[in-house]
Amino acid sequence: MSDAPILELADVVKRFGSRTILDGISLSVAPREIVCIVGPSGTGKSTLLRCVNGLEDIQGGEIRFEQTRVEARAKSIKAVRMRIGMIFQQFNLYPHLTALQNVMLAPVVVHGEDRKIVEERARALFEKVRLSPRINAYPAQLSGGEQQRVAIARALAANPHLLMFDEATSALDPETVGDVLAVMRDLAVEGRTMLVVTHEIRFAADVGTRMVFMDQGKIVEDANPREMLAHPKTERARQFFSSIRG
Amino acid sequence: MNYTFTLRTVFPYLGGLVAAAEMTLTLSVLAILISLVIGAAVAVMRRSRLRVVRFAGAAYVEVMRNTPLLVTLYIVYFAAPAIGIRLSSFTAALLGLSLNAAGYMAEIIRAGLIAVPGGQFEAATAQGMTMGQMFRHIIFPQVFRTIYAPLGNQFIAVILASSLASAVAVEEVTSWMETVGANSFRFFETFVVAAVVYVVLCQTINLARLQIGRMLFRQPEARR
Amino acid sequence: MTGSLVFLPLFIKATGTTIWLSWLALLIGAVGGFLIALLRTSRLWPLRVIALLYTEAFRSVPILIVLFFAYFGVPVMLGFDVSPFVAATFALALHASANMSEVVRAGIESVGRGQWEAALASGMRMREVMRHIVAPQALRVILPPSVGVYITVLKESSLASIIGYFELTRTGLLVRETQGGGFGPLLALAAIYFLLSYGISLCGAALERHYAIGGATTSTDAVVGGMA
Repeated sequence: MSDAPILELADVVKRFGSRTILDGISLSVAPREIVCIVGPSGTGKSTLLRCVNGLEDIQGGEIRFEQTRVEARAKSIKAVRMRIGMIFQQFNLYPHLTALQNVMLAPVVVHGEDRKIVEERARALFEKVRLSPRINAYPAQLSGGEQQRVAIARALAANPHLLMFDEATSALDPETVGDVLAVMRDLAVEGRTMLVVTHEIRFAADVGTRMVFMDQGKIVEDANPREMLAHPKTERARQFFSSIRG
Repeated sequence: MNYTFTLRTVFPYLGGLVAAAEMTLTLSVLAILISLVIGAAVAVMRRSRLRVVRFAGAAYVEVMRNTPLLVTLYIVYFAAPAIGIRLSSFTAALLGLSLNAAGYMAEIIRAGLIAVPGGQFEAATAQGMTMGQMFRHIIFPQVFRTIYAPLGNQFIAVILASSLASAVAVEEVTSWMETVGANSFRFFETFVVAAVVYVVLCQTINLARLQIGRMLFRQPEARR
Repeated sequence: MTGSLVFLPLFIKATGTTIWLSWLALLIGAVGGFLIALLRTSRLWPLRVIALLYTEAFRSVPILIVLFFAYFGVPVMLGFDVSPFVAATFALALHASANMSEVVRAGIESVGRGQWEAALASGMRMREVMRHIVAPQALRVILPPSVGVYITVLKESSLASIIGYFELTRTGLLVRETQGGGFGPLLALAAIYFLLSYGISLCGAALERHYAIGGATTSTDAVVGGMA
């Protein structure tokens, strides 16, 4: 962990009206770390991700990504977003474009890269997410799991320095969850830096290098996943883990 | 009943009919284009963060949809001179028709915008797209797909509505029927001819819409 | 502006005339539309074609030329005078019947095949199925968009002014002339139409909410369409 942090959050506060969603979050992520954020629903995990790439503005504290200050309304936000890949719970693929076009759009349009080079890279990415045969299908023709893997390829196409997964498997049929988790596992092995909001505790324990437990807008615990699962330090975390193990 | 249907009686007037049909078409095409611009602006107003702007947009739509086009035409036609602007019959009719059609157009476009899920805006933003890029590559193609069919209906509605321009002395197909009928007393023939012109215009648009739609939206809709 | 109050009784009377004309046309149009809808859903294809042609024709021809034909053409052809009122009622009703037939058809078709089959299987005759099973269900789908049809008729009734019938619009124009121009009377016209039409559309929206059953929503504009 001697590398300089890629992402730093210092005392971040996010409010919607009078409701405080994030209540003083401080977190530092080093390159190649895989940080899994867990906790009860409605505790601000997704909001945290959305603040990192400026989909939401913040009311207090500071977020820095690769030395750039993240400000939702500043011009500099575009450069930040170009280096962060985000995968959404609902996939959010563009329905009027084929799988391949979905993956190629941002590199060509936003990054201004050459179409030929991008297409080559995109085809390799479909190989990686094991979807080469479905390359010309439209989102409506794909299953949820397939759509999510296209979304992962789309995020990777921009060569991001950080990947953020916002409950990437929550909207999937149980039988397709495995395919998506397998792809995420491959990415972890490659040494990608990942920020993963998830309810898949087993995945977090196997793949994560760090686990962050959040509750009511605060980080309650931050430790090695196995350690936290075996010996939660707080009562709240203990309750949460026992409740989801059912 | 000693009236015999003889189309030949209207032959001498057919030259005027061509000009009249051109006028109907010109009026309608321009009105559609102008109403598209105004309607888009009003639809965007209805999504504004400011309550006043949203209200103004909604008020525009309701007023236009709940007052007769004829009254709108008269107001434009008579009001312009009263505030010192000289409008030709054509300009007044075009303006009235466009303003009225824009009320319907705004609702069509609004429905198209609503049909784009919020996640699309988010995904595009997260990928670093500017507003312009997002509109061009993500929003417009999806909105266009949704509004394509209603847009065709609206085009037909405007062609039919343009017949009211005859009330403010624009010489289009309906006023052709009225004048030629009055001059020749052959109202049945002129009615049939005018009706055929309108049916041909409307059905041409209908067929063209289907054909173009098939070309534009070839991608399959079905989930596998 | 105080002088305008003199014309208030005139406007009120004219509003009554407009309502009477549009209601009558709607009523006749509703009966006609219902019959055409029955033809549209008939088992005999020639009947279906006739009904389809009827609806399509009146939806691709402006009502104003129908009005001119009824008022100027019919007397010449048949040799008897047609009053502006009769001509206007006739033209409005024809157009309304085409619109109504689409609304009624959507209503009839909204009742699933299964309902027909279940009722026929229980030994009901066609007429009984229509009356006890289909009609009550279809009515919920038909009622809200009928309000849209009425609003169209109401606005279209302004065209009667062009053939000289003294309804609301004609009265407004007359008042404007007696005042020597200006557009105050025209704005008054617009305001009265707006109040009538918007008020009715609010009732329609309430009706739609009242009859909304399990996500079955009806799209008024799609069925009725048209500008007026």
